[in-house]
Amino acid sequence: MSEAVLDHAASERYAQATQLQLTWWRFRKHKLAVASLVVIILFYLVAIFADALAPNDPHATDARRSFIPPQGIHLFDDSGFNPHVYGLRGVRDPRTFKLAYAPDPARKLPVRLFANGYSYDLFGLFETDIHLFGVVGGNRGEGIFLLGTDQLGRDLFSRLVVATRVSLFIGLAGVTLSLLLGVLLGGISGLYGGWVDTLIQRVIEVLRSIPTIPLWMGLAAALPNTWSVTQIYLAITIIISLIGWTELARVVRGRFLSLREEDFVVAAELAGASQLRIIFRHMLPSFASHVIAAVSLALPAMIVSETSLSFLGLGLRPPAVSWGILLQDAQNIQVLAGAPWLLAAAVPVILAILAFNFLGDGLRDAADPYG
Amino acid sequence: MRRREFGIAVLAGWAGAAVAQTGGELQGSGLVGTLESPALITDPTRFPQQFQEAPMLAEQVRAGRLPPVAQRLPQDLMVIQPLRGVGKYGGTWRRGFIGPGDSENGNRLMSADKPLFFDETGTKILPCLARGFEVSEDGRRTTLHLRRGLRWSDGTPCTADDWIFWFEEIYTNKDLVPAPAAELTLKGKPARLVKLDEYSIAFEFDDPYFLFPYLLAGDTLIGGGHTRQQIEGRAYGIYAPKHYLQRFLPSHTPVDALTAEARAAGFSTWAQLFLFKCDWRLNRELPTLAAWRMVQPINTQQWVLERNPYYYAVDSAGNQLPYIDRIQMGLAENPEVVNLRAIAGEYDYQERFIDLGKLPLLVENQQRSKYKLHLDLGFNGADSVLFPNPCYTDDREIAALLGQANFRRALSLGIDREQLNEAFWLGLGTPGSVVPAEILPESPGKEWRTRWSMHDPAHANRLLDGVGLTRKDREGYRLRRDNSQRLRLEITVAQTLSPTWPQQSEMIVQHWRQIGIAADVKVQERSLALTRGRSDQIQIIIWTNNGTESLYLYPRYALPVDPTAGVMGNAYALWFASNGARGTEPPEPEMRRAHALLRDAAGQREAERHRTAQEIWKLAVEQQWGIGLVGLSPAFMGVRVVSDRLENVPGRTGISQHIRTPWGAHPEQWYFR
Repeated sequence: MSEAVLDHAASERYAQATQLQLTWWRFRKHKLAVASLVVIILFYLVAIFADALAPNDPHATDARRSFIPPQGIHLFDDSGFNPHVYGLRGVRDPRTFKLAYAPDPARKLPVRLFANGYSYDLFGLFETDIHLFGVVGGNRGEGIFLLGTDQLGRDLFSRLVVATRVSLFIGLAGVTLSLLLGVLLGGISGLYGGWVDTLIQRVIEVLRSIPTIPLWMGLAAALPNTWSVTQIYLAITIIISLIGWTELARVVRGRFLSLREEDFVVAAELAGASQLRIIFRHMLPSFASHVIAAVSLALPAMIVSETSLSFLGLGLRPPAVSWGILLQDAQNIQVLAGAPWLLAAAVPVILAILAFNFLGDGLRDAADPYG
Repeated sequence: MRRREFGIAVLAGWAGAAVAQTGGELQGSGLVGTLESPALITDPTRFPQQFQEAPMLAEQVRAGRLPPVAQRLPQDLMVIQPLRGVGKYGGTWRRGFIGPGDSENGNRLMSADKPLFFDETGTKILPCLARGFEVSEDGRRTTLHLRRGLRWSDGTPCTADDWIFWFEEIYTNKDLVPAPAAELTLKGKPARLVKLDEYSIAFEFDDPYFLFPYLLAGDTLIGGGHTRQQIEGRAYGIYAPKHYLQRFLPSHTPVDALTAEARAAGFSTWAQLFLFKCDWRLNRELPTLAAWRMVQPINTQQWVLERNPYYYAVDSAGNQLPYIDRIQMGLAENPEVVNLRAIAGEYDYQERFIDLGKLPLLVENQQRSKYKLHLDLGFNGADSVLFPNPCYTDDREIAALLGQANFRRALSLGIDREQLNEAFWLGLGTPGSVVPAEILPESPGKEWRTRWSMHDPAHANRLLDGVGLTRKDREGYRLRRDNSQRLRLEITVAQTLSPTWPQQSEMIVQHWRQIGIAADVKVQERSLALTRGRSDQIQIIIWTNNGTESLYLYPRYALPVDPTAGVMGNAYALWFASNGARGTEPPEPEMRRAHALLRDAAGQREAERHRTAQEIWKLAVEQQWGIGLVGLSPAFMGVRVVSDRLENVPGRTGISQHIRTPWGAHPEQWYFR
């Protein structure tokens, strides 16, 4: 009896819920997707607060700290809880001329929250030098190197954090552009049908049949080399989204085709609604969730595109810092043999791609709550 | 005699310099050996009488495709006493190159085509193609004695006519040689080449030219045969195979027929066809005099050279050289790949592109990959030099700044060379200006190494304020004087020679932040970068001044004098080379004075010439035409990976431009155990 009541209450709730609520309930069940959402939010937080999170200036070079291995934080000392790192002393091996670093126990550098470091513009609004954490009282060349340093002595952790900003936003910008193109062309294609549809669909097929890497290489090589880093950055975004829009256009077109025949659309038509009203008031909301899912699946592709282009030396170039550029630094044999920690740049790439894919998966399932 | 003494002094000094530079660290490492090279036997009574040849040639002789070895060798032999012992024939020397722009890689291996050559110290002239030379008492005439019976690689005799042919029919043809070679012009007056007999020629000048034989031996536009002939489609050199090439000249074949032939071969003019025909890297029909001849061109995956059956040298036992059958240069996408393959033991001898920064890895892999590592110390002032181009054409403001001594000095003072030395030279180099090692007679003295070349951002900032760059933007970068945009310099890096040039430039960009100078690093393929350099489209290029340790033989990286170089102001170089007929006259009086000094030195005898060189170096440092970074190290072709199987390889070899590294180690007498 009581079960039936409960069931009834549940189905009542179900029947009264808005589509957004339904989607959310469905999405919540996909544990991996929820976890991925958290990861992605963290990634974007890192991207937004990149400079505040980076303890060292990502561009500052110092040969005396070249190729420092990852460094651990010591949490306690004799006086109790006192997070600190040791100063490092680099000594050259007389036989191989390699710099070997040994911690100097006499030189203790306390690690503190909200420490002062290099100055930067927060949100491009005001200048500050407060960083989430950092060492206090370090001399020039001293600092905390959680993931070690590269050949020029730049702190890898700081560079990774700053690279996150470039790599994630280039993906976001690329997807936005793709979305615009995709919804526009897909919508036209699905709505009007006929020769317009055929033309757009054939263009999509031709674009998709071209292997992407050579196409990008050709386009990237055509960028004038007098362009500044920012111009290159924008151009790369456009190049990447040139391919990205096709997938979205297909999704949108498919939804348009199926929705066109739905009763509620016919009803709206009969009620005399204008075409724009039908599209934006009735049709779009019913497939927006699908578009969001498609977008979240397109994002990782964008990020990988930027990474691979930059890795091949065709995308962004120094002093811009992106995941691809960091990986490019890890291309040489010294790194593979002597400084494998530089490969750490691959980890955020993998994490971000996986998270976006799981999120997209979850969203796609949730997008159709009645299914 | 004086010359020999000088050579010994240099030798002793060389070892001394090594200790001084590195505090004995290098000596202790066991990686620096004794400077040595095989001796030449010049006494004809000690010449071998019986000759042997490589099995691959003996086979062809038996098949009747080649005459016997005794008939192929010249009467005036070049006899080499192998470094450790007589070797045996066979094998392939595996090596790496990085693409069609890497011509120098092969040119150096063809150095047996030079009229004269140097000993291992780079100071004493030795016979090469010519068995001897004399300079007249007044210095106006240099006579070369060619080897009687010398033959091209196709068997045709090589005589004085081949030299006259080049001089009269190629050199004077404006389509092939647009600008005369500076070496063949003295005080604006051209040289005359006279044939004395079938095997003697004389170069005559209106004024004393004591320097001339050194130029024939050095790495100059005239210091060789067709290895000089592919410099940007200009046929320099000093002789050419008349029997093969004359057919492609309009003076021997009607121009219409030649043009038709050129069109059929995919060229638009006869001159292009001719330049292809005399390009040894691409045209395998072209006869050579070098130890190996090209059998597979440079624009392929494997650039292959094979022994020249008519090579003019034998060892002390009468074996025709070279011992090694074949040189196989494998294409590597970039210098990094060359290093990788070297570490994996895939090369038998590689010094080019080997990165000093990888020394730890190179040392650790010696046993596993079966090679021995050698370090050869350089004599030139700076392995890396920033060359600001005052002739830059694309931006007037930047050209005006680069043309000001104080701006260049500020750029120089803004660089922390100690940092570069630590990061890229493993602390083994010497930071400083462009001047050569103190031990050389051309060095102006110790104080010139540090002049304008110490890290002093405060001084640099004062200098920059002084040239009017006082306004700065929010981030502290200086603004241009002509508009209010940020001043942005660009450092061009050619992808060649040093794999760490891009990173070095990036570090310099960081140092310049302190003096408010913004700069970008642009990495380009070598030939593209140099082509842009030759049309003055480069602002600053990072290059080396390797070669300038012998200023007169290779002044192109000390002063803008060579329009083919493409790293220093090209308009000035053209003006110098054409004697003011073309190009732009340098507005800086110091540059004009340096040009005049260089011109005068040609007629001076040795001691006076050295003093002139010191004056030129002082001007170069004072004016910072080249901003020297770190030098006197093994960084530039001085890190050498040698297979354990390779014998007769010197413990240490001269790595100067004019010693044509690795030719100074005489590869023709190396052999595989």
